[in-house]
Amino acid sequence: MKKRGRGIGLAFYGTGYGNGFPDVSRARIRLLDDGKVGIYVGSTEVGQGAKTVLMQIGAEALKLDVEEIVFITEDTSLTPDAGTAAASRQTYNTGNAVKIACENFIERLKEIAKEELNLNSSYGLKVEAGNIFLDFFPQKKISFKELSKSYGSGNIEADGEFVAQTIMMDPETGQGAPYWPYTFNACGIELVVDTLTGLVEIERAVFAQDVGRAVNPHLVEGQMDGGFAMALGYILFEDLNLKDGKIYNNKFSKYLIPTAMDTIKVENIIVEDPESTAPYGAKGIGEPVMIPVGPAILNAIYDAIGVRITELPVTPERLIKAIQEDNERKEEI
Amino acid sequence: MRLDVVGKNILRVDALSKVTGKALYPEDIYMENMLYGKTLRSKVPHAYIRVDTSKAERIDGVIKIFTHKDVPKNEYGVVLKDHEVFCSQKVRRIGDPIAFVVAKDLKTCHLALENIRVEYEEIEGVFDPIEAMKDDAPKVHGDSNIIYHFKIRKGDIKEGFKNSHVIVENTYKTHMVDHAFLQPESGVSFIDEEGRITVIVATQYPHYDREEIASALNMPEESVRVINANVGGAFGGREDISLQIHLALATKELNRPVKTVYSREESFIAHAKRHPMIMKYKTGADRDGKLLALEAEIIGDSGAYASWAMNVLRKSGVHASGPYEIPNVKVDSIAVYTNNPFTGAMRGFGATQVPIAYEQQMDILAEKLGLDPISIRLKNMFRKGSVTATGQVLTESVPLQECLERVVERMDFPRREEAY
Repeated sequence: MKKRGRGIGLAFYGTGYGNGFPDVSRARIRLLDDGKVGIYVGSTEVGQGAKTVLMQIGAEALKLDVEEIVFITEDTSLTPDAGTAAASRQTYNTGNAVKIACENFIERLKEIAKEELNLNSSYGLKVEAGNIFLDFFPQKKISFKELSKSYGSGNIEADGEFVAQTIMMDPETGQGAPYWPYTFNACGIELVVDTLTGLVEIERAVFAQDVGRAVNPHLVEGQMDGGFAMALGYILFEDLNLKDGKIYNNKFSKYLIPTAMDTIKVENIIVEDPESTAPYGAKGIGEPVMIPVGPAILNAIYDAIGVRITELPVTPERLIKAIQEDNERKEEI
Repeated sequence: MRLDVVGKNILRVDALSKVTGKALYPEDIYMENMLYGKTLRSKVPHAYIRVDTSKAERIDGVIKIFTHKDVPKNEYGVVLKDHEVFCSQKVRRIGDPIAFVVAKDLKTCHLALENIRVEYEEIEGVFDPIEAMKDDAPKVHGDSNIIYHFKIRKGDIKEGFKNSHVIVENTYKTHMVDHAFLQPESGVSFIDEEGRITVIVATQYPHYDREEIASALNMPEESVRVINANVGGAFGGREDISLQIHLALATKELNRPVKTVYSREESFIAHAKRHPMIMKYKTGADRDGKLLALEAEIIGDSGAYASWAMNVLRKSGVHASGPYEIPNVKVDSIAVYTNNPFTGAMRGFGATQVPIAYEQQMDILAEKLGLDPISIRLKNMFRKGSVTATGQVLTESVPLQECLERVVERMDFPRREEAY
């Protein structure tokens, strides 16, 4: 028999290494040839979109087109340490470091422009679209290109560092402020359980994710779709078949992960509520996007068939067994 | 705030190279005079070992077989240095690296692996974290298997449960899973034009890899260079060291480029997994559905090495009470060594497991009280100004209610806002 159910899951997630551990990101900005600006930062593009997002943050801070930016992340001999691409920390932590480095770079450019333009002060100078100028007397203007030509590539530079604020918890009571910031989300699932085969078919998923501010909405949605699929695999499919320390399902013919055939179009809702300590308000969402999906599926399974699943994964065999055990319990009563 | 670039759907900068197949992964790289490396791994979960490489070394085309004797500082690890680059006396899990064969081609590597003699003197293993916590359990490292114990003590749970109208108690179990990233581990090492030991790898944290390589090889960090090629997914599975030190060591000794590519099967046993957790929960609420007390005991199986065990179980503990204001909270989260595959970072990092428990507890409480799942959450959820179980004030950007309301708006959940 096919039974339909709906479930909800909420979650929150704290960003960063946490618990007072020094969580540091660094970035370096350099004026390169032809007025281009190089951003050097040792943060890894693991597919989450770090390169694109950090470039957008840099472009925003420098008031420059992304095409004018050269972004280097790949080599420890060229880039300062920006911490690990984990803990959902690159957008918030390294984003802040890039923004701070860009602001320092702008100050440096203004100092140089003051000399080059024979001004009394750098006060009031603006930096936009690759030019440093005075609004009220636009003839006083020098471009990034001109500065590249006279100073050479890589000779005008500035660094930026961001250290996250967290407070170590008391070892006996756990009182402290271990992470900052937190992100929040909610996922609703509608599914159908086939009580004969034990198969669970997800029919609808509505997923709302707090992002502070979306730097790149398409990339946020990409993460939400990916987090949903990963949670689907976690709850319903993936099983290492681990016995006495040995993994028996050690290839994808046995270790099943969702394919495009198993997933659905998730109705993603991006919720924006900018965080004042974040770069332009943006919080990291790489991990939280997988978290509320699992409990929503489990609550929906209960809503459908009245059986609580307390052990993962909910493979068809397990689900059939749980239904049978539940029937036996009810018969006894 | 006027924003020109932030908020725009700019095309990913790495999209074109990836969809056209032009993006280079370490596996795509070939260098002149390059050798191949392959790792010999433990076949048993817990044993003392004796290794004899002499027969394999005589095979034509084998350049060198590295063991623990060749590593200047035979240790690494993200927090505790409890991994050995190559096991010296004892293996603690299936897949523990014992030796690294470097040969002129892959076929020779395989032949050499078959000809290395490993004598295993097996010892009793422990595979259940609850068993592993007992005093008489076989010890994986040192004299206790308990790595870490995190506690939250807020208010008075006795009082909280005494005043509760309903109490729900359950034990939830989550299992070990793999990151299943697309690209198995691979890497190429060489000496660059400035004489630096250089490793091309796909990693989550190149500067950490550099630090571990330099430490194991007893070299200054400036003499080591890590180039991070394209990364075919990670999800936490590329935070621990895998082949980085093996490759750097071989290139340093042999002065030639060396390449290693793991098969999918090797990848499964080489990198960390998600912590399985046993989560014992007791949650109490008053007649109106307001949460009064939560007690949770969470036991995480760290497998044979600690990796991020402390940080993961800490994160589980901090998130154990969910996004809800609860006056009385007691949490104990404990990380334990076993002889299972080691566990470490994976998307959500300990905060993915706990909602399997706390969110089902919420629905069970609601049902007992005659409330609907939405209403009980609205009565208890974090809002701006809420205080968490660790005493942290959520001063801004807490749009949880908006998240819930926007989902409910579209899904039409049946509502029952008043308790029986």
